[in-house]
Amino acid sequence: MKMRALIVDDNGNNLMLEKDILEVAGFEVFEAISAADGIAIARKEKPDIIIMDVRLPDMRGSEAAMILRQDKETRDIPIVFVTASVMAEGKEEIKNITNSGFIGKPINTRTFAKEIGQYINRGSLNAEKQTGDLSR
Amino acid sequence: MKDKKKIKELLKNKVESRAVPERKTIKQLHQEIKGSKKTERVVQGALEFAESVINTVREPLISLDQDLRVVSVSRSFYEFFKVKPEETVGQLIYDLGNKQWNIPKLRELLETILPQKATFDNYEVEHDFAVIGRRIMLLNARQIERGMGKERIILLAIEDITERKEIEAGLEKTRKELETTKISEDAAREYSESIINTVREPLISLDKDLRVVSVSRSFYDVFKVKPEETVGQLIYDLGNKQWNIPKLRELLETILPQKTTFDNYEVEHDFTTIGRRTMLLNARQIERGMGKERIILLAIEDITERKEIEAGLEKAHEELQELAAELKRTTRAKSEFLANMSHELRTPLNSINGFSEILYDGTFGPLNEKQKKYVEYVLTSGKHLLLLINQILDMSKVEAGKMKLALSRLPMKGLLNEISLLVADMVSKKKLNMLLEIAEDLPNIEGDELRVKEILYNLLSNAAKFTPEGGKIGMRARKADSGIEVVVWDTGIGIALENMGKIFEGFFRVDTPYSRVTEGTGLGLPLSKKLVELHGGKFFVVSEGLNKGTQVRFTLPIISGKAV
Repeated sequence: MKMRALIVDDNGNNLMLEKDILEVAGFEVFEAISAADGIAIARKEKPDIIIMDVRLPDMRGSEAAMILRQDKETRDIPIVFVTASVMAEGKEEIKNITNSGFIGKPINTRTFAKEIGQYINRGSLNAEKQTGDLSR
Repeated sequence: MKDKKKIKELLKNKVESRAVPERKTIKQLHQEIKGSKKTERVVQGALEFAESVINTVREPLISLDQDLRVVSVSRSFYEFFKVKPEETVGQLIYDLGNKQWNIPKLRELLETILPQKATFDNYEVEHDFAVIGRRIMLLNARQIERGMGKERIILLAIEDITERKEIEAGLEKTRKELETTKISEDAAREYSESIINTVREPLISLDKDLRVVSVSRSFYDVFKVKPEETVGQLIYDLGNKQWNIPKLRELLETILPQKTTFDNYEVEHDFTTIGRRTMLLNARQIERGMGKERIILLAIEDITERKEIEAGLEKAHEELQELAAELKRTTRAKSEFLANMSHELRTPLNSINGFSEILYDGTFGPLNEKQKKYVEYVLTSGKHLLLLINQILDMSKVEAGKMKLALSRLPMKGLLNEISLLVADMVSKKKLNMLLEIAEDLPNIEGDELRVKEILYNLLSNAAKFTPEGGKIGMRARKADSGIEVVVWDTGIGIALENMGKIFEGFFRVDTPYSRVTEGTGLGLPLSKKLVELHGGKFFVVSEGLNKGTQVRFTLPIISGKAV
C-alpha cells in the first residue's frame, strides 16, 4: 500500500521539490500552502506523515502541530518539521511536540525520502508503545 | 466637730480620686492626723471611713491593738503578702504567715520606738519572706487612741519599695560611673579645643547670639577667612557677609532652639571667594561649664567635590546602563538578524541545491554531458554558498560566546583515519602523497565530535587545496602533556611572512594561481582556530614563507571545556 504524505509549505518551489522526491519514492502526496489548509487536509485524509514548514503565512508550524496533537483523529500522525530555521531558536520551539522530527533545509534530495520513511516507522512504533502504556 | 467633718471630707476625696497615687493619700492622711492634736480624739468617729480607706488604698495597711494583735488588714495586704484573712485577724503580728513577720527591726519599731514617740516615719526594713522573697519595705506607723483616751491602736503602713530601690541602685551606679569618667572642666575645654583644631572638618563655635567664639584652623583654610575678621563676629557677617545664608539662618534660628541639634543639613551657597560650594552642616547646642552659658558647635563639611563625583558617577552609571541596554538590544537584534539571514538564505538554496541535485541525478531523465556539467557547477556553487552561510553563522556564534560544545568521548585514532578518507578523493585527483603518522598510544579525548571533525577536515582540505599536484601532505598525531597534539602539514604554497597576520582575519586567501581555482571560503582557518580554543586547546600556523609549505599545529586537552 502506498504511503500517504501531507506537505505543508508556503514556498511553491520547496513544496514541488519535496513532492517530486516523495512521489518518485512511491508516496501519495497531499499539498497545503497554509497551516489552516494543512490541518483541514490532515483531518480529512489522515496521512501517514505530515511534512511541516515552520514559518507559515497564517501561523507557526509548531502551533499547527499543537492543534493537530489536540485532535484525536490526527494526534498520532508523525510530523517532520522541514525548515530553514536550523539555529537553536528554531529547534527550541518544536522540541515539546510529541512524535515529531526535524530536517534542516536545504534538504539532501538523495536521502530525504528515506528519512521521511523512517519517521513513519518510528511513529507507528511510538503509537503502539503509547497504546501499550495506556492499557497498563 | 469641724475637724471631724474636715477629716471625713478629706478621706472621701482621697477615696474617690483614685488617680492620685495612694502613697500620697496615706501620707496626707498621716499628715492630717499629725497636723492636729485634736484629731486623735475624734478618730473614732471617722473610723469607718478610715477602714474603707484601708480597703481602698493599694498600699498594704494593717491596724494593731496595743498588744500588737491584728485588728484589721487592708485587702492589698492580703494580696501583697499572700496571707489569708482567717490566719490574720486576732493574730500577733509577728506570727503572721507562719511567723514570717517575726522581723527584728519591726519588733524594735513597735516595741521600743512607738511607745516613746507615738509615731515613726519611713523606716526601711529589709526582710526575706518565705513566700514572696526578699523585700525592702518602708514602714510608717501611728499610735492613736481609739475612742476617748481608752484603748490604743497602731496603724502601720507598709510600702514595698523593693523595685524602687533597685532602680535607685541602678541610677546610683550610673552616676558613680559618670563621676569616674568626669574630667575637670578646664581639661575638657582644652581637650575639645584641641579636637576642634585637629579635625580636618571645619568647625565653628558660636555663642547664643550666634557670634563666633572660636574657629578651627581648617575653617580658615577652607573658607579663606582671617582669624582677626572672625572671632566676635556674627556668623552671618563672616567674610564680608558671605555667610548670610538663608538656610543657615533657618537652621540656627528656628531648628536649633527647638531641637538643640541637627544633623546632615545640605546647604548650597555661592561664596564670592571660593565659588559655589555644597556643605553638610551638623550642629549641637551645648552647655559650656556647669549650666552656665550656651554654645553652638557647628561642623561644616565641604562636600562640593564629593557631590560632583557623585553626580559624575551617577551620570556615568546612567550612561553605562544605557549602553548595557543598547548592547543587549544590539545583541538580540544581531542574533535575530543572523537567524533571519540563515533562514532567508537557506530557503532559496533549498531549491537551488535540491533541483540541481535531482537534475544531476537524472531523476526525471538523463541530461547530456554539458547539461550535467553545468548543473554540477550550480550544485557545487550552491553547496559552497551553504558552507559559507554555516561558517559565518558559526563564527558569529563563537564570537558572541554562544557556541555550545556537545562533549563526548572521542575515539581519536578512528576519527583521524575517517577524516583522512574524506579528502582521499581530492588527494588522488591531485596526485598528492598523503602521509599519516598516528601514535599508537594516542589517547582518546573529550570533545564535540562534529566540531573536531570540522577542524580536521578544514585543515586537511586546506593542505590539499594549497598544494600543487605531485606534492605531499600529511597528518601527525601524538600524545602531549595533558592532551593530544595534531600537526597537519603540506609542501604547498605556504604563507608569505607579510600575510601571516591576515590568515585569521576571515575571507583571506593567499592569492596564487592555485588558490584562485580552489574552492574555499577563507573562513576555515579562523573558525578552526576558534573551535580549538573553545575546546581549551592551542592553535599555531607555521610557514617558512611562500612556496615553503605550511604546518598547522594544534592541541586538544583530554578533558575539554571551559574549566581549563
